[in-house]
Amino acid sequence: MGYEWDFGVVLRDFDLLLWGLVNTLKVTGLSLLFGVPLGLFLALWRLYGGRLIRVPVGVLIEFLRTTPPIAQLFWFFFAMPILLGIEIDPFQASVLTFSLQSSAFFAEVFRGGIVSIDNGQWEAAKAIGMDRNASLRRIILPQAVKRMVPAFLERAIELMKTTTLVGTISYADLLYEANNIAQSTYRSLEVFSLAAGMYFVVIFACSMGVRRLERHLGRTGETTTG
Amino acid sequence: MVEILKIEGLNKSFGDLTVLDGIDLSVNKGETIVVIGASGSGKSTMLRCVNFMEIPSGGRITLNGSAIGTASNGSVTYSEKELTGLRARVGMVFQHFNLFPHMTVKQNVMEGPKTVLKCSAVECSRRADKYLEKVGLGWKADSFPSQLSGGQQQRVAIARALAMEPEIMLFDEATSALDPELVGEVLLTMKELADEGMTMLIVTHELGFAYTVADRVLFLANGKILEQGDPESVLINPQQDATKNFLRGHGSFRLPEPNLD
Repeated sequence: MGYEWDFGVVLRDFDLLLWGLVNTLKVTGLSLLFGVPLGLFLALWRLYGGRLIRVPVGVLIEFLRTTPPIAQLFWFFFAMPILLGIEIDPFQASVLTFSLQSSAFFAEVFRGGIVSIDNGQWEAAKAIGMDRNASLRRIILPQAVKRMVPAFLERAIELMKTTTLVGTISYADLLYEANNIAQSTYRSLEVFSLAAGMYFVVIFACSMGVRRLERHLGRTGETTTG
Repeated sequence: MVEILKIEGLNKSFGDLTVLDGIDLSVNKGETIVVIGASGSGKSTMLRCVNFMEIPSGGRITLNGSAIGTASNGSVTYSEKELTGLRARVGMVFQHFNLFPHMTVKQNVMEGPKTVLKCSAVECSRRADKYLEKVGLGWKADSFPSQLSGGQQQRVAIARALAMEPEIMLFDEATSALDPELVGEVLLTMKELADEGMTMLIVTHELGFAYTVADRVLFLANGKILEQGDPESVLINPQQDATKNFLRGHGSFRLPEPNLD
């Protein structure tokens, strides 16, 4: 097996890969920016909304979680213009799909975090006269979010990897560019190794950063006894 | 005599289970009332109905002359806003302290004045210092709850309730979760409050404390006040068989006065 590696021809197009990475980060970043707050609202509606809100929100979350992301992506890209007459470009379709898709997962992370907080915390907040909003904002969420950090990171990494699907609607992300270069240079092995390495560097750096953040948060007191 | 709290015909059921069955009670300003009774007698539920942690199934609660809730057609309805406002006027201390673990001791005490009463930063800080000093924990202001002993945590919880400058304080088995050697410091703090004239309603199993501190002792059984009076008459000369049995159970094993000199 005397394969001769040759990165030279691939590195000539490295700037294309970098632009692809920037696009990947754009879709991932914006989807997080919209998906996390939307996830919080979905979680709160599912937990505390009246029946008329709780049930449809639950259905929406389950639907987004159980259908393949690629089907959602196609749906928004092709169905929006047909059904609603709204033209959207691949970038918009990607951000829309992954914001919604990840919000469903973040909703479940938020919900898990919120219900994991001891009921005594709600009671203590209530007893000093806080209403539910104040209790959530000041007492429950700060503790829940701290516990949710690892699950958040997990979801964010998952999201970044899932965004590789955007190439299927011709959005030029890192994998899409890699594919193009592979086809023009016939150096698939080199170019995909390089692309994988770039995903690794970004994701690994993020996960190290989050781990440090976690250690920092962990230094403030965790639970009361009893 | 200023009446702070009036409970009339208080009922509470959970499904088919009747926990409180017609409680009437009047509490005067500065009075310390200790509620005793077997577990399941309804004493905690009674306390929790006073600040509406549990919504009464029937009856009326009046705090400082104003009846809580809106009565119509023989039932009383409560708005969330009214109850939130009421809870700000009633302090409560829990068995399990329930301090906010993500906040320092001082932040715990300031939280109510800051978020609920919207006090200025200066006023919040002043209150926190004052009440932490009162429970003897000013020196722990910057610690986190997890760095304190159980007794210290409970004293912080007392300071947190006091910082709201409540009209009445409720203690729900405040020492039951503590190691025996830590019970004393919390009871002493409570006694100081009673001596300073705080109006207190206390559920406890510490009969010695009840005897020393209470102005009035209530014995609850099956959701009713079975016997009440000064500590001497309820704890030493009980009239009801149920009270006698309860006290007999508590006194099964007793130390003679230990010689501690």
